[in-house]
Amino acid sequence: MSSWVHLLSLDLAVVGLAALVMLLDALASLRGRTIGALVVAGLVGVLIASFQIDVTGTTPHGAYVSDAWVLFFKRIFLCAAILGVLGSIEWLDRHAPKRQAEYYALLLFSLVGMLLLPGARDWVLLVVAFELMGVPLYVLAAYAKNDTTPGEPKLAAEAALKLFVTGAASSAFTFFGLALLVGLSGSTSIAQGAQMSPLATVGLMLVIAGFGFKLGAVPFHFWVPDTYQGAPTPFVAFLSVAPKAGGLAALSVILMSTGWVGAKELWAPAIVVISIASMAVGNLFALPQTDARRLLGFSGIAQIGYVLIALAAATEQGLAMALFFIAAYVFTNLGLFLVVHAAAQDMGGHGIAEMSGLSRRSPWLGGALLVFLLSLAGIPFVIGFWAKLFVFLEAYRAGLVVPVIVGIVLAVVGLFYYLSVARQTFMAEGKSDEKIHAGAPLSAAIAVCLLAVVVLGLWPGPLVESANAAAAAFLGGR
Amino acid sequence: MTLQHCLLLAAAVFAIGVYGLITRRQAIGMLISLELLVNSANLALVAFAKHAGAPTQPLVLFVLAITVAEVAVGLALVMLFYRRYDDTLLDQANEARG
Repeated sequence: MSSWVHLLSLDLAVVGLAALVMLLDALASLRGRTIGALVVAGLVGVLIASFQIDVTGTTPHGAYVSDAWVLFFKRIFLCAAILGVLGSIEWLDRHAPKRQAEYYALLLFSLVGMLLLPGARDWVLLVVAFELMGVPLYVLAAYAKNDTTPGEPKLAAEAALKLFVTGAASSAFTFFGLALLVGLSGSTSIAQGAQMSPLATVGLMLVIAGFGFKLGAVPFHFWVPDTYQGAPTPFVAFLSVAPKAGGLAALSVILMSTGWVGAKELWAPAIVVISIASMAVGNLFALPQTDARRLLGFSGIAQIGYVLIALAAATEQGLAMALFFIAAYVFTNLGLFLVVHAAAQDMGGHGIAEMSGLSRRSPWLGGALLVFLLSLAGIPFVIGFWAKLFVFLEAYRAGLVVPVIVGIVLAVVGLFYYLSVARQTFMAEGKSDEKIHAGAPLSAAIAVCLLAVVVLGLWPGPLVESANAAAAAFLGGR
Repeated sequence: MTLQHCLLLAAAVFAIGVYGLITRRQAIGMLISLELLVNSANLALVAFAKHAGAPTQPLVLFVLAITVAEVAVGLALVMLFYRRYDDTLLDQANEARG
Protein backbone atom coordinates (compact mmCIF):
# COMPACT_ATOMS: atom_id res chain seq x y z
CA MET A 1 0.00 0.00 0.00
CA SER A 2 2.64 2.48 0.98
CA SER A 3 4.37 1.88 -2.33
CA TRP A 4 1.91 4.06 -4.20
CA VAL A 5 0.46 6.43 -1.63
CA HIS A 6 3.22 8.93 -2.46
CA LEU A 7 1.67 9.32 -5.94
CA LEU A 8 -1.23 11.07 -4.27
CA SER A 9 0.80 13.11 -1.79
CA LEU A 10 -0.11 16.46 -3.40
CA ASP A 11 -3.81 15.60 -3.47
CA LEU A 12 -3.72 14.32 0.11
CA ALA A 13 -1.97 17.51 1.22
CA VAL A 14 -4.87 19.54 -0.20
CA VAL A 15 -7.39 17.25 1.55
CA GLY A 16 -5.45 17.81 4.77
CA LEU A 17 -5.52 21.56 4.22
CA ALA A 18 -9.30 21.48 3.73
CA ALA A 19 -9.74 19.43 6.91
CA LEU A 20 -7.47 21.82 8.79
CA VAL A 21 -9.49 24.81 7.62
CA MET A 22 -12.73 23.25 8.86
CA LEU A 23 -11.15 22.22 12.18
CA LEU A 24 -9.68 25.65 12.80
CA ASP A 25 -13.05 27.21 12.05
CA ALA A 26 -14.83 24.91 14.50
CA LEU A 27 -12.27 24.81 17.32
CA ALA A 28 -10.24 28.00 17.14
CA SER A 29 -13.01 29.93 15.39
CA LEU A 30 -10.50 31.84 13.32
CA ARG A 31 -12.08 34.86 11.75
CA GLY A 32 -11.09 37.56 9.37
CA ARG A 33 -8.53 37.06 6.68
CA THR A 34 -6.34 34.64 8.63
CA ILE A 35 -7.96 31.56 7.12
CA GLY A 36 -7.58 32.91 3.58
CA ALA A 37 -3.92 33.65 4.21
CA LEU A 38 -3.45 30.14 5.62
CA VAL A 39 -5.09 28.55 2.57
CA VAL A 40 -2.93 30.56 0.18
CA ALA A 41 0.21 29.65 2.12
CA GLY A 42 -0.76 25.97 2.13
CA LEU A 43 -1.49 25.90 -1.58
CA VAL A 44 1.74 27.72 -2.43
CA GLY A 45 3.51 25.09 -0.33
CA VAL A 46 1.85 22.29 -2.32
CA LEU A 47 2.73 24.03 -5.59
CA ILE A 48 6.40 24.30 -4.55
CA ALA A 49 6.33 20.67 -3.39
CA SER A 50 5.14 19.62 -6.86
CA PHE A 51 8.52 20.79 -8.18
CA GLN A 52 10.52 19.33 -5.31
CA ILE A 53 9.26 15.81 -4.66
CA ASP A 54 8.96 12.93 -7.08
CA VAL A 55 5.35 11.81 -7.42
CA THR A 56 5.57 9.94 -10.72
CA GLY A 57 4.52 6.33 -11.06
CA THR A 58 1.57 4.02 -11.57
CA THR A 59 -0.74 2.34 -9.07
CA PRO A 60 -0.71 -1.50 -9.09
CA HIS A 61 -3.78 -2.01 -11.29
CA GLY A 62 -3.16 1.05 -13.41
CA ALA A 63 -6.18 2.96 -12.14
CA TYR A 64 -4.06 6.04 -11.48
CA VAL A 65 -1.03 7.20 -13.41
CA SER A 66 1.10 10.13 -12.34
CA ASP A 67 3.48 11.60 -14.92
CA ALA A 68 4.50 14.89 -16.57
CA TRP A 69 0.98 15.23 -18.01
CA VAL A 70 -0.61 14.99 -14.59
CA LEU A 71 1.90 17.39 -13.05
CA PHE A 72 1.29 19.97 -15.78
CA PHE A 73 -2.42 19.97 -15.03
CA LYS A 74 -1.93 19.88 -11.26
CA ARG A 75 0.21 23.00 -11.40
CA ILE A 76 -2.41 24.78 -13.52
CA PHE A 77 -5.15 23.85 -11.04
CA LEU A 78 -3.03 24.90 -8.06
CA CYS A 79 -2.19 28.26 -9.66
CA ALA A 80 -5.86 28.86 -10.46
CA ALA A 81 -6.87 27.98 -6.89
CA ILE A 82 -4.20 30.21 -5.33
CA LEU A 83 -5.19 33.17 -7.49
CA GLY A 84 -8.89 32.47 -6.98
CA VAL A 85 -8.48 32.39 -3.19
CA LEU A 86 -6.37 35.56 -3.22
CA GLY A 87 -9.08 37.30 -5.20
CA SER A 88 -11.83 36.08 -2.86
CA ILE A 89 -10.32 37.09 0.49
CA GLU A 90 -11.65 40.65 0.59
CA TRP A 91 -15.02 39.87 -0.95
CA LEU A 92 -15.61 37.14 1.63
CA ASP A 93 -14.48 39.30 4.50
CA ARG A 94 -16.90 41.99 3.46
CA HIS A 95 -19.94 40.00 2.33
CA ALA A 96 -19.86 36.68 4.20
CA PRO A 97 -17.62 37.22 7.23
CA LYS A 98 -19.12 34.33 9.21
CA ARG A 99 -18.98 31.79 6.41
CA GLN A 100 -15.38 32.12 5.29
CA ALA A 101 -14.02 28.72 6.26
CA GLU A 102 -16.71 26.78 4.37
CA TYR A 103 -15.99 28.76 1.23
CA TYR A 104 -12.33 27.81 1.32
CA ALA A 105 -13.03 24.20 2.32
CA LEU A 106 -15.49 23.77 -0.58
CA LEU A 107 -13.06 25.35 -3.00
CA LEU A 108 -10.32 23.03 -1.78
CA PHE A 109 -12.52 19.93 -2.13
CA SER A 110 -13.36 20.95 -5.67
CA LEU A 111 -9.63 21.40 -6.24
CA VAL A 112 -8.97 17.83 -5.01
CA GLY A 113 -11.39 16.52 -7.63
CA MET A 114 -9.54 18.48 -10.31
CA LEU A 115 -6.15 17.25 -9.11
CA LEU A 116 -7.31 13.63 -9.39
CA LEU A 117 -8.83 13.99 -12.87
CA PRO A 118 -5.87 14.01 -15.29
CA GLY A 119 -4.28 10.92 -13.75
CA ALA A 120 -7.44 8.80 -13.64
CA ARG A 121 -7.29 5.79 -15.95
CA ASP A 122 -10.32 4.04 -14.52
CA TRP A 123 -13.93 5.05 -15.21
CA VAL A 124 -14.91 4.87 -11.56
CA LEU A 125 -12.07 7.14 -10.41
CA LEU A 126 -12.67 9.53 -13.31
CA VAL A 127 -16.37 9.91 -12.58
CA VAL A 128 -15.93 10.27 -8.82
CA ALA A 129 -13.18 12.87 -9.32
CA PHE A 130 -15.32 14.74 -11.84
CA GLU A 131 -18.26 14.89 -9.44
CA LEU A 132 -16.01 15.88 -6.54
CA MET A 133 -14.93 18.78 -8.72
CA GLY A 134 -18.50 19.69 -9.65
CA VAL A 135 -20.68 19.41 -6.54
CA PRO A 136 -18.86 22.01 -4.37
CA LEU A 137 -19.12 24.48 -7.27
CA TYR A 138 -22.94 24.42 -7.06
CA VAL A 139 -22.75 25.49 -3.42
CA LEU A 140 -20.13 28.15 -4.09
CA ALA A 141 -22.24 29.67 -6.88
CA ALA A 142 -24.98 30.37 -4.31
CA TYR A 143 -22.56 31.94 -1.84
CA ALA A 144 -23.80 35.49 -2.28
CA LYS A 145 -26.75 34.43 -0.15
CA ASN A 146 -27.58 37.86 1.13
CA ASP A 147 -27.51 39.33 -2.35
CA THR A 148 -25.48 42.40 -1.69
CA THR A 149 -25.34 43.84 -5.18
CA PRO A 150 -28.00 46.53 -5.50
CA GLY A 151 -30.50 45.94 -8.28
CA GLU A 152 -29.68 42.26 -8.56
CA PRO A 153 -31.65 40.79 -5.67
CA LYS A 154 -32.32 37.27 -6.81
CA LEU A 155 -29.43 36.47 -9.09
CA ALA A 156 -27.46 34.18 -6.79
CA ALA A 157 -30.28 31.65 -6.31
CA GLU A 158 -30.99 31.65 -10.02
CA ALA A 159 -27.32 31.32 -10.96
CA ALA A 160 -26.73 28.40 -8.62
CA LEU A 161 -29.91 26.56 -9.60
CA LYS A 162 -29.11 26.87 -13.30
CA LEU A 163 -25.57 25.62 -12.72
CA PHE A 164 -26.94 22.75 -10.64
CA VAL A 165 -29.62 21.61 -13.08
CA THR A 166 -27.28 21.60 -16.08
CA GLY A 167 -24.47 20.08 -14.04
CA ALA A 168 -26.62 17.31 -12.60
CA ALA A 169 -28.17 16.56 -15.99
CA SER A 170 -24.69 16.38 -17.50
CA SER A 171 -23.52 13.90 -14.88
CA ALA A 172 -26.62 11.79 -15.52
CA PHE A 173 -25.72 11.75 -19.23
CA THR A 174 -22.18 10.73 -18.30
CA PHE A 175 -23.49 7.93 -16.07
CA PHE A 176 -25.65 6.49 -18.83
CA GLY A 177 -22.85 6.68 -21.39
CA LEU A 178 -20.54 5.12 -18.84
CA ALA A 179 -22.98 2.28 -18.24
CA LEU A 180 -23.00 1.48 -21.96
CA LEU A 181 -19.22 1.75 -22.40
CA VAL A 182 -18.26 -0.25 -19.32
CA GLY A 183 -21.01 -2.79 -19.91
CA LEU A 184 -19.92 -3.39 -23.50
CA SER A 185 -16.18 -3.46 -22.88
CA GLY A 186 -16.48 -5.57 -19.71
CA SER A 187 -13.84 -3.53 -17.91
CA THR A 188 -13.76 -0.31 -15.92
CA SER A 189 -10.33 0.52 -17.35
CA ILE A 190 -10.55 3.48 -19.72
CA ALA A 191 -7.67 2.15 -21.80
CA GLN A 192 -9.68 -0.98 -22.59
CA GLY A 193 -11.95 0.79 -25.07
CA ALA A 194 -15.15 -0.86 -26.20
CA GLN A 195 -15.61 -2.76 -29.44
CA MET A 196 -17.01 -0.51 -32.12
CA SER A 197 -20.75 -0.85 -32.26
CA PRO A 198 -23.68 1.52 -32.60
CA LEU A 199 -24.44 1.16 -28.91
CA ALA A 200 -20.86 1.97 -27.92
CA THR A 201 -20.99 5.02 -30.19
CA VAL A 202 -24.11 6.22 -28.38
CA GLY A 203 -22.29 5.69 -25.09
CA LEU A 204 -19.27 7.68 -26.24
CA MET A 205 -21.40 10.55 -27.51
CA LEU A 206 -23.32 10.68 -24.21
CA VAL A 207 -20.03 10.84 -22.31
CA ILE A 208 -18.73 13.64 -24.58
CA ALA A 209 -22.02 15.50 -24.06
CA GLY A 210 -21.73 15.07 -20.30
CA PHE A 211 -18.24 16.55 -20.19
CA GLY A 212 -19.21 19.24 -22.70
CA PHE A 213 -21.53 20.77 -20.09
CA LYS A 214 -18.66 21.53 -17.73
CA LEU A 215 -16.53 22.88 -20.56
CA GLY A 216 -19.37 25.22 -21.42
CA ALA A 217 -19.14 24.22 -25.08
CA VAL A 218 -22.11 24.72 -27.42
CA PRO A 219 -24.79 23.25 -27.28
CA PHE A 220 -24.28 22.82 -23.54
CA HIS A 221 -23.54 26.45 -22.77
CA PHE A 222 -26.86 27.88 -21.55
CA TRP A 223 -25.84 28.10 -17.92
CA VAL A 224 -22.62 30.02 -18.60
CA PRO A 225 -23.72 33.67 -18.93
CA ASP A 226 -26.44 33.47 -16.27
CA THR A 227 -24.22 31.77 -13.74
CA TYR A 228 -21.34 34.15 -14.40
CA GLN A 229 -23.65 37.08 -13.81
CA GLY A 230 -25.22 35.83 -10.60
CA ALA A 231 -22.44 34.05 -8.74
CA PRO A 232 -19.86 36.00 -6.70
CA THR A 233 -17.39 37.49 -9.18
CA PRO A 234 -14.16 36.27 -7.48
CA PHE A 235 -15.59 32.76 -7.49
CA VAL A 236 -16.58 33.12 -11.14
CA ALA A 237 -12.95 34.02 -11.86
CA PHE A 238 -12.07 30.54 -10.58
CA LEU A 239 -15.14 28.86 -12.12
CA SER A 240 -14.39 30.28 -15.55
CA VAL A 241 -10.96 28.65 -15.77
CA ALA A 242 -10.30 25.70 -13.47
CA PRO A 243 -13.30 23.43 -14.22
CA LYS A 244 -12.76 24.09 -17.92
CA ALA A 245 -9.18 22.87 -17.62
CA GLY A 246 -10.60 19.91 -15.69
CA GLY A 247 -13.11 19.17 -18.44
CA LEU A 248 -10.35 19.34 -21.03
CA ALA A 249 -8.23 16.94 -18.98
CA ALA A 250 -11.09 14.47 -18.63
CA LEU A 251 -12.05 14.68 -22.28
CA SER A 252 -8.44 14.13 -23.40
CA VAL A 253 -8.06 11.17 -21.06
CA ILE A 254 -11.17 9.55 -22.49
CA LEU A 255 -10.58 10.30 -26.15
CA MET A 256 -6.81 10.05 -26.42
CA SER A 257 -5.83 7.35 -23.95
CA THR A 258 -8.16 4.61 -25.08
CA GLY A 259 -8.95 2.37 -27.96
CA TRP A 260 -10.94 5.43 -28.98
CA VAL A 261 -7.89 7.20 -30.35
CA GLY A 262 -8.04 4.60 -33.12
CA ALA A 263 -11.68 5.52 -33.66
CA LYS A 264 -10.67 9.09 -34.40
CA GLU A 265 -12.94 9.19 -37.47
CA LEU A 266 -15.82 8.68 -35.09
CA TRP A 267 -15.28 11.36 -32.46
CA ALA A 268 -13.09 13.95 -34.20
CA PRO A 269 -15.94 15.22 -36.41
CA ALA A 270 -18.18 15.54 -33.35
CA ILE A 271 -15.51 17.61 -31.60
CA VAL A 272 -15.01 19.74 -34.74
CA VAL A 273 -18.75 20.48 -34.91
CA ILE A 274 -18.86 21.40 -31.20
CA SER A 275 -15.78 23.55 -31.64
CA ILE A 276 -17.10 25.50 -34.65
CA ALA A 277 -20.47 25.98 -32.96
CA SER A 278 -18.77 27.20 -29.76
CA MET A 279 -16.59 29.70 -31.62
CA ALA A 280 -19.56 31.00 -33.61
CA VAL A 281 -22.06 31.26 -30.74
CA GLY A 282 -19.49 32.57 -28.25
CA ASN A 283 -18.11 35.30 -30.49
CA LEU A 284 -21.39 36.41 -32.06
CA PHE A 285 -23.44 36.43 -28.87
CA ALA A 286 -20.72 38.33 -27.04
CA LEU A 287 -21.11 41.30 -29.39
CA PRO A 288 -24.40 42.76 -28.02
CA GLN A 289 -23.65 42.11 -24.32
CA THR A 290 -23.68 45.07 -21.96
CA ASP A 291 -22.65 43.27 -18.78
CA ALA A 292 -18.93 42.55 -18.51
CA ARG A 293 -19.53 39.18 -16.85
CA ARG A 294 -21.93 37.98 -19.54
CA LEU A 295 -19.54 39.18 -22.22
CA LEU A 296 -16.73 37.21 -20.60
CA GLY A 297 -19.03 34.20 -20.36
CA PHE A 298 -19.62 34.17 -24.10
CA SER A 299 -15.96 34.96 -24.76
CA GLY A 300 -15.08 31.93 -22.62
CA ILE A 301 -17.38 29.75 -24.73
CA ALA A 302 -15.51 30.98 -27.82
CA GLN A 303 -12.11 30.30 -26.22
CA ILE A 304 -13.18 26.71 -25.45
CA GLY A 305 -14.01 26.39 -29.14
CA TYR A 306 -10.40 27.23 -30.01
CA VAL A 307 -9.07 24.62 -27.55
CA LEU A 308 -11.33 21.94 -28.98
CA ILE A 309 -9.89 22.45 -32.48
CA ALA A 310 -6.52 21.43 -31.08
CA LEU A 311 -8.08 18.41 -29.38
CA ALA A 312 -9.84 17.39 -32.60
CA ALA A 313 -6.45 17.32 -34.34
CA ALA A 314 -5.79 14.23 -32.18
CA THR A 315 -2.02 14.51 -32.58
CA GLU A 316 0.66 14.79 -29.92
CA GLN A 317 1.51 18.36 -30.94
CA GLY A 318 -2.15 19.27 -31.10
CA LEU A 319 -2.68 18.02 -27.57
CA ALA A 320 0.42 19.88 -26.37
CA MET A 321 -0.88 23.10 -27.84
CA ALA A 322 -4.28 22.55 -26.24
CA LEU A 323 -2.39 22.39 -22.94
CA PHE A 324 -0.50 25.58 -23.76
CA PHE A 325 -3.75 27.30 -24.72
CA ILE A 326 -5.54 26.30 -21.52
CA ALA A 327 -2.59 27.48 -19.40
CA ALA A 328 -2.64 30.83 -21.21
CA TYR A 329 -6.42 31.01 -20.80
CA VAL A 330 -6.24 30.33 -17.07
CA PHE A 331 -3.97 33.28 -16.33
CA THR A 332 -5.63 35.66 -18.80
CA ASN A 333 -9.26 35.01 -17.93
CA LEU A 334 -8.67 34.80 -14.18
CA GLY A 335 -6.82 38.10 -14.27
CA LEU A 336 -9.50 39.73 -16.39
CA PHE A 337 -12.32 38.63 -14.09
CA LEU A 338 -10.42 39.87 -11.04
CA VAL A 339 -9.88 43.28 -12.68
CA VAL A 340 -13.60 43.46 -13.48
CA HIS A 341 -14.32 42.53 -9.85
CA ALA A 342 -11.93 45.14 -8.48
CA ALA A 343 -13.35 47.82 -10.75
CA ALA A 344 -17.00 46.90 -10.12
CA GLN A 345 -16.55 47.17 -6.35
CA ASP A 346 -15.87 50.89 -6.64
CA MET A 347 -17.63 51.77 -9.86
CA GLY A 348 -21.08 50.61 -8.87
CA GLY A 349 -21.74 47.71 -11.22
CA HIS A 350 -20.48 45.15 -13.67
CA GLY A 351 -21.87 46.82 -16.77
CA ILE A 352 -19.42 47.71 -19.51
CA ALA A 353 -20.75 51.27 -19.40
CA GLU A 354 -19.78 51.45 -15.73
CA MET A 355 -16.18 50.72 -16.66
CA SER A 356 -15.78 54.06 -18.38
CA GLY A 357 -12.93 56.13 -17.07
CA LEU A 358 -11.30 53.15 -15.36
CA SER A 359 -7.90 53.97 -16.81
CA ARG A 360 -8.05 57.45 -15.26
CA ARG A 361 -9.27 56.29 -11.89
CA SER A 362 -6.71 53.53 -11.65
CA PRO A 363 -4.08 53.49 -14.40
CA TRP A 364 -2.69 50.17 -13.32
CA LEU A 365 -6.06 48.36 -13.31
CA GLY A 366 -6.87 49.91 -16.68
CA GLY A 367 -3.49 48.81 -18.06
CA ALA A 368 -3.94 45.28 -16.72
CA LEU A 369 -7.43 45.11 -18.24
CA LEU A 370 -6.02 46.16 -21.61
CA VAL A 371 -3.27 43.52 -21.52
CA PHE A 372 -5.73 40.74 -20.62
CA LEU A 373 -8.15 41.84 -23.35
CA LEU A 374 -5.36 41.88 -25.92
CA SER A 375 -4.31 38.42 -24.79
CA LEU A 376 -7.82 37.02 -25.20
CA ALA A 377 -8.10 38.72 -28.58
CA GLY A 378 -4.78 37.19 -29.65
CA ILE A 379 -2.71 40.30 -30.30
CA PRO A 380 1.09 39.98 -30.35
CA PHE A 381 3.04 39.84 -28.08
CA VAL A 382 1.08 38.61 -25.13
CA ILE A 383 0.55 34.95 -24.34
CA GLY A 384 -2.86 34.65 -25.99
CA PHE A 385 -1.31 35.41 -29.36
CA TRP A 386 1.01 32.41 -29.20
CA ALA A 387 -1.79 30.21 -27.86
CA LYS A 388 -4.06 30.97 -30.83
CA LEU A 389 -1.21 30.81 -33.33
CA PHE A 390 0.02 27.42 -32.13
CA VAL A 391 -3.47 25.93 -31.95
CA PHE A 392 -4.34 27.07 -35.47
CA LEU A 393 -0.96 25.87 -36.82
CA GLU A 394 -1.28 22.39 -35.34
CA ALA A 395 -4.89 22.02 -36.43
CA TYR A 396 -3.89 23.11 -39.94
CA ARG A 397 -1.08 20.54 -39.97
CA ALA A 398 -3.57 17.85 -38.96
CA GLY A 399 -5.70 18.78 -41.97
CA LEU A 400 -8.47 20.64 -40.19
CA VAL A 401 -8.58 23.54 -42.66
CA VAL A 402 -12.25 24.53 -42.31
CA PRO A 403 -12.30 24.98 -38.50
CA VAL A 404 -9.06 26.96 -38.70
CA ILE A 405 -10.51 29.37 -41.27
CA VAL A 406 -13.72 29.72 -39.24
CA GLY A 407 -11.62 30.27 -36.13
CA ILE A 408 -9.50 33.02 -37.70
CA VAL A 409 -12.54 34.84 -39.09
CA LEU A 410 -14.32 34.67 -35.74
CA ALA A 411 -11.17 35.76 -33.90
CA VAL A 412 -11.40 38.98 -35.93
CA VAL A 413 -15.03 39.33 -34.80
CA GLY A 414 -13.74 38.83 -31.26
CA LEU A 415 -11.48 41.85 -31.68
CA PHE A 416 -14.56 44.08 -31.89
CA TYR A 417 -15.97 43.32 -28.48
CA TYR A 418 -12.66 42.98 -26.68
CA LEU A 419 -11.53 46.33 -28.03
CA SER A 420 -14.91 47.96 -27.38
CA VAL A 421 -14.43 47.18 -23.68
CA ALA A 422 -10.92 48.64 -23.89
CA ARG A 423 -12.28 51.73 -25.65
CA GLN A 424 -14.83 52.22 -22.90
CA THR A 425 -12.20 52.08 -20.17
CA PHE A 426 -9.71 54.36 -21.90
CA MET A 427 -11.66 56.80 -24.05
CA ALA A 428 -15.01 57.31 -22.34
CA GLU A 429 -15.46 59.92 -19.64
CA GLY A 430 -16.05 58.50 -16.18
CA LYS A 431 -18.55 59.76 -13.66
CA SER A 432 -15.85 60.67 -11.17
CA ASP A 433 -12.09 60.84 -10.90
CA GLU A 434 -11.88 59.20 -7.52
CA LYS A 435 -9.10 56.67 -7.15
CA ILE A 436 -10.00 53.00 -6.94
CA HIS A 437 -8.60 51.03 -4.04
CA ALA A 438 -8.20 47.35 -4.73
CA GLY A 439 -6.93 45.60 -1.62
CA ALA A 440 -3.52 43.98 -1.34
CA PRO A 441 -4.50 40.31 -1.94
CA LEU A 442 -6.63 41.17 -4.97
CA SER A 443 -3.91 43.41 -6.41
CA ALA A 444 -1.33 40.69 -5.82
CA ALA A 445 -3.45 38.14 -7.70
CA ILE A 446 -3.94 40.52 -10.63
CA ALA A 447 -0.22 41.33 -10.64
CA VAL A 448 0.71 37.64 -10.79
CA CYS A 449 -1.67 37.05 -13.71
CA LEU A 450 -0.33 40.14 -15.48
CA LEU A 451 3.24 39.00 -14.96
CA ALA A 452 2.46 35.52 -16.30
CA VAL A 453 0.65 36.88 -19.37
CA VAL A 454 3.42 39.35 -20.25
CA VAL A 455 6.48 37.25 -19.39
CA LEU A 456 5.14 34.09 -21.07
CA GLY A 457 4.08 36.23 -24.02
CA LEU A 458 7.60 37.49 -24.54
CA TRP A 459 9.22 34.18 -23.68
CA PRO A 460 6.81 31.28 -24.33
CA GLY A 461 9.57 28.68 -24.83
CA PRO A 462 9.60 27.01 -21.40
CA LEU A 463 5.82 26.63 -21.25
CA VAL A 464 5.76 25.17 -24.79
CA GLU A 465 8.46 22.70 -23.81
CA SER A 466 6.68 21.55 -20.69
CA ALA A 467 3.40 21.25 -22.62
CA ASN A 468 5.18 19.12 -25.22
CA ALA A 469 6.73 16.96 -22.50
CA ALA A 470 3.33 16.54 -20.86
CA ALA A 471 1.64 15.45 -24.08
CA ALA A 472 4.51 13.10 -24.91
CA ALA A 473 4.41 11.50 -21.47
CA PHE A 474 0.64 11.10 -21.70
CA LEU A 475 0.59 9.50 -25.14
CA GLY A 476 3.80 7.55 -24.56
CA GLY A 477 2.35 5.84 -21.52
CA ARG A 478 -0.84 4.92 -23.31
CA MET B 1 -35.86 -10.58 -19.64
CA THR B 2 -32.82 -10.45 -21.84
CA LEU B 3 -30.16 -7.74 -21.94
CA GLN B 4 -32.00 -6.10 -24.83
CA HIS B 5 -35.21 -5.82 -22.85
CA CYS B 6 -33.43 -4.29 -19.90
CA LEU B 7 -31.56 -1.79 -22.06
CA LEU B 8 -34.76 -0.82 -23.86
CA LEU B 9 -36.42 -0.21 -20.49
CA ALA B 10 -33.41 1.86 -19.37
CA ALA B 11 -33.49 3.87 -22.58
CA ALA B 12 -37.22 4.49 -22.14
CA VAL B 13 -36.73 5.71 -18.56
CA PHE B 14 -33.86 7.90 -19.78
CA ALA B 15 -36.05 9.39 -22.50
CA ILE B 16 -38.84 10.11 -19.98
CA GLY B 17 -36.27 11.81 -17.77
CA VAL B 18 -35.01 14.01 -20.62
CA TYR B 19 -38.60 14.86 -21.58
CA GLY B 20 -39.43 15.77 -17.99
CA LEU B 21 -36.30 17.88 -17.64
CA ILE B 22 -37.24 19.90 -20.71
CA THR B 23 -40.96 20.32 -20.02
CA ARG B 24 -41.20 20.61 -16.22
CA ARG B 25 -41.30 24.15 -14.95
CA GLN B 26 -41.33 23.33 -11.27
CA ALA B 27 -37.89 22.85 -9.73
CA ILE B 28 -39.12 19.76 -7.85
CA GLY B 29 -40.30 18.22 -11.11
CA MET B 30 -36.87 18.80 -12.59
CA LEU B 31 -35.25 17.11 -9.59
CA ILE B 32 -37.49 14.07 -10.08
CA SER B 33 -36.58 13.99 -13.77
CA LEU B 34 -32.91 14.07 -12.82
CA GLU B 35 -33.51 11.07 -10.56
CA LEU B 36 -35.12 9.22 -13.48
CA LEU B 37 -32.08 9.95 -15.65
CA VAL B 38 -29.65 8.66 -13.05
CA ASN B 39 -31.70 5.59 -12.26
CA SER B 40 -31.97 4.65 -15.92
CA ALA B 41 -28.17 4.53 -15.88
CA ASN B 42 -28.33 2.33 -12.79
CA LEU B 43 -30.79 -0.01 -14.53
CA ALA B 44 -28.42 -0.37 -17.45
CA LEU B 45 -25.48 -0.99 -15.11
CA VAL B 46 -27.31 -3.74 -13.24
CA ALA B 47 -28.54 -5.30 -16.49
CA PHE B 48 -25.00 -5.49 -17.86
CA ALA B 49 -23.82 -7.13 -14.63
CA LYS B 50 -26.60 -9.73 -14.67
CA HIS B 51 -26.68 -10.62 -18.34
CA ALA B 52 -23.21 -9.86 -19.68
CA GLY B 53 -21.14 -10.47 -16.55
CA ALA B 54 -19.61 -7.01 -16.77
CA PRO B 55 -18.10 -5.60 -13.53
CA THR B 56 -20.72 -2.86 -13.37
CA GLN B 57 -22.54 -3.71 -10.16
CA PRO B 58 -20.14 -1.88 -7.79
CA LEU B 59 -20.48 1.15 -10.07
CA VAL B 60 -24.14 1.40 -9.09
CA LEU B 61 -23.11 2.12 -5.51
CA PHE B 62 -20.78 4.87 -6.64
CA VAL B 63 -23.45 6.40 -8.84
CA LEU B 64 -25.98 6.26 -5.99
CA ALA B 65 -23.60 7.88 -3.53
CA ILE B 66 -22.68 10.66 -5.96
CA THR B 67 -26.33 11.30 -6.78
CA VAL B 68 -27.29 11.52 -3.11
CA ALA B 69 -24.63 14.20 -2.60
CA GLU B 70 -25.80 16.03 -5.69
CA VAL B 71 -29.50 15.96 -4.78
CA ALA B 72 -28.76 17.10 -1.23
CA VAL B 73 -27.12 20.20 -2.66
CA GLY B 74 -29.90 20.54 -5.23
CA LEU B 75 -32.66 20.48 -2.62
CA ALA B 76 -30.83 23.13 -0.60
CA LEU B 77 -30.63 25.30 -3.70
CA VAL B 78 -34.33 24.80 -4.40
CA MET B 79 -35.03 25.89 -0.81
CA LEU B 80 -32.94 29.02 -1.36
CA PHE B 81 -34.79 29.68 -4.59
CA TYR B 82 -38.13 29.21 -2.82
CA ARG B 83 -37.19 31.75 -0.16
CA ARG B 84 -36.32 34.33 -2.80
CA TYR B 85 -39.34 33.83 -5.04
CA ASP B 86 -41.93 32.27 -2.70
CA ASP B 87 -42.37 29.57 -5.33
CA THR B 88 -40.37 26.90 -7.11
CA LEU B 89 -41.60 27.86 -10.56
CA LEU B 90 -38.47 28.29 -12.63
CA ASP B 91 -40.13 30.62 -15.16
CA GLN B 92 -39.54 33.46 -12.75
CA ALA B 93 -35.83 32.95 -12.99
CA ASN B 94 -35.15 35.45 -15.71
CA GLU B 95 -33.46 38.20 -13.76
CA ALA B 96 -30.18 37.54 -15.54
CA ARG B 97 -30.16 39.52 -18.74
CA GLY B 98 -27.53 41.06 -20.90
